[in-house]
Amino acid sequence: MAHLCLFSLLVLSMVLKTQALTPTHHLTTTDVARLQAVLSQPFTDLKSAYYSVVGLSKLGILVADADETCQFIKSNLDPSSVESLFYAAEASQALSGCEIPVSNDTRDLLLATVSEDSTASQIHQSVSALSSLGLPLASQEVVSALKARISKEDNVLTIILALQTASRLSQQAELGDILEEIEDLAARLDDLSGVYLQFEEGLEATALFVSAAYALSDHVDMEPPLKEDQVIQLVNSIFSKKSWDSLSEAFSVASAAESLSNNRFHVPVIVSAQGPAAISHSQPFLRLQVTDVLCQPLSSASVLVESASTSTSKSAILSQAPFTLREEVFELNFMASQPASGYYQFSVAIAGDSRFVANHVELKVKVSTRVAINNMDLSVVDKDQSIGPKTTRVEYPTKAKASFMADSHQNFAMTFQLVDETTGVELTPHQTFVRLHNQKTGQEVVFVAEPDSKNLYKFELDTTERKTEFDSISGTYALYLMMGDATLENPILWNVADVVLKFLDEETPSTIQAKTLYTPKPEIQHLFREPEKKPPTVVSNAFTALVLSPFLLLLILWFKLGANISNFTLSPCTILFHIGHAAMLGLMYVYWTHLNMFQTMKYLAIIGSLTFLAGNRMLAQKAVKRTK
Amino acid sequence: MSNSVISVISRFLEEYASSTPNKLKVIDAYLLYIMMTGALQFLYCLLVGTFPFNSFLSGFISCVGSFILAVCLRIQINPQNKGEFLSISPERAFADFQFAHTVLHLVVINFIG
Repeated sequence: MAHLCLFSLLVLSMVLKTQALTPTHHLTTTDVARLQAVLSQPFTDLKSAYYSVVGLSKLGILVADADETCQFIKSNLDPSSVESLFYAAEASQALSGCEIPVSNDTRDLLLATVSEDSTASQIHQSVSALSSLGLPLASQEVVSALKARISKEDNVLTIILALQTASRLSQQAELGDILEEIEDLAARLDDLSGVYLQFEEGLEATALFVSAAYALSDHVDMEPPLKEDQVIQLVNSIFSKKSWDSLSEAFSVASAAESLSNNRFHVPVIVSAQGPAAISHSQPFLRLQVTDVLCQPLSSASVLVESASTSTSKSAILSQAPFTLREEVFELNFMASQPASGYYQFSVAIAGDSRFVANHVELKVKVSTRVAINNMDLSVVDKDQSIGPKTTRVEYPTKAKASFMADSHQNFAMTFQLVDETTGVELTPHQTFVRLHNQKTGQEVVFVAEPDSKNLYKFELDTTERKTEFDSISGTYALYLMMGDATLENPILWNVADVVLKFLDEETPSTIQAKTLYTPKPEIQHLFREPEKKPPTVVSNAFTALVLSPFLLLLILWFKLGANISNFTLSPCTILFHIGHAAMLGLMYVYWTHLNMFQTMKYLAIIGSLTFLAGNRMLAQKAVKRTK
Repeated sequence: MSNSVISVISRFLEEYASSTPNKLKVIDAYLLYIMMTGALQFLYCLLVGTFPFNSFLSGFISCVGSFILAVCLRIQINPQNKGEFLSISPERAFADFQFAHTVLHLVVINFIG
């Protein structure tokens, strides 16, 4: 009863445990080296000198020629510019033994810049310069100036600069309001598909926010209001870019990395397997690298396997097994638990510091093994079972001495067993193929060997059944056994024997039609639409004459009726009408031969209107004459 | 039976020859011409085939259209129908006939291809 309760509780807890986020992007040692190289570029002006020197100091690297750099800073310093003083002061602070001479005017200039009218970046630069140069400043004034600035300009960069400035002030000042800005600013971050968290202003703003927030939180010793998942999402955003466009971007990434590895509250842990996470008898140790975001190993951590189980079953092979630390790498001898080959799901926990974030990791580990072939029996079985099968046993990797004959009366059969070399457990690899290769024609046919319920592999070749695959070509075929699997260390290609196959109804060895897939195909000739059959010209001409003949009839009839043009008046409108009418008929002919509708309409409009006017006049005259 | 038909026809022809004014006879001759032309075109189509179908159609429609317009002209010119066409003088009828023919010919030539 108690067992049942415990079991159900365990199942429930496993179901309810929400998967915590782990970083998907982090800097590798090559990335850190690249960042260092970017920051070590020779500097051209005071600003780039500041980024390089301070950036490298955040990575924990000292500048090579400190004196030369100090000289460069001193010579490029412009004492009348707050920005220049800021760069010089910060850079000289990072170098050891570099002192910037300060005059009263400089101090007054810096103190005067601390007011509501200066921009946030000016306030930040003057406060930082005053603090680095060891000059006194009035913290409360700074706080009120910052608060006024934030209320005027509510953008992200202003607030980040305010946070940075506040971290340089004395701890007695009232930094509570500015501290609350961290939470407001965190709410402004964009969550991209649950993996990334960044400002729309970009990578630099996000990285500067992280370093400013942790600097201020450390300064006032209060945990920043960022949840673990949010920290991991910020890590993903900041470290997803592995090459940086500008020196300022590289500097912001370096300071974010430094603050995430060194602050008092949250330290994200990066766990990665050294090499592929694969174990075998020759390589029984699972090696893990546990580092912070700057790829520095966390030697104080203790790494523990909470559970290791196969992907299919949920039974745990290992539980609560510790890793041992050897030369900054954590290792565990997994083969000592004698796991069967396959894939395992590891749940690893990293303890040792309450600041660790993302310290539960899921890993997929592969255990591979070597395979051995046992009891390979080849036999030729008669179909009608009259003669008993002749079985030959072949040992790997030798080849059977005699070749086997199979024709229409006999079947060729093969049985074998696949076992793990060390443990003797039966294996079923993913790929077990039997390949028959005709040496003369180069033809090859591949079959799959299937295991039965007792994991015994069987392969049978019936020549009559399979003759289509072979194209009924008889001859000597070399038989190969091919075997492979992701968890096998020794894939096998073994020429087991030669098999002579005889097929009935063999076609005369036709020239091997190598599957002509890639040769040019016969050209297709396009057939244009045949024009319709026209009747012979004689017929057409005859009918044309026939159709025109009624016109003669008409003329004859009109003559007989006495139709005449004796009433034809020779007035201008009459003549114009008749000419216009004739022109319209001519236009019809020209339309048929040359023009299109638009042109015809144009000409018709001109001629038609003339004809109309003339005709109108003519008919009016006629009407008058009629009624007279 | 056939006797009565023949007698009806001969009577009709007599009446026609005597009582119809000359103008109308001229138009009737024209109508006969148009009809024969159309009939001959149709005969060609039946015998030889409809190869340039659009040409056949346009020719046939031309005949049919002309026939109709000529019939309209005849009706409107006929002095016996004067009562029905008070506002339309014969000249006006002729002008309408001309205009309609222009449109008909435009369409026919467009379609003849």
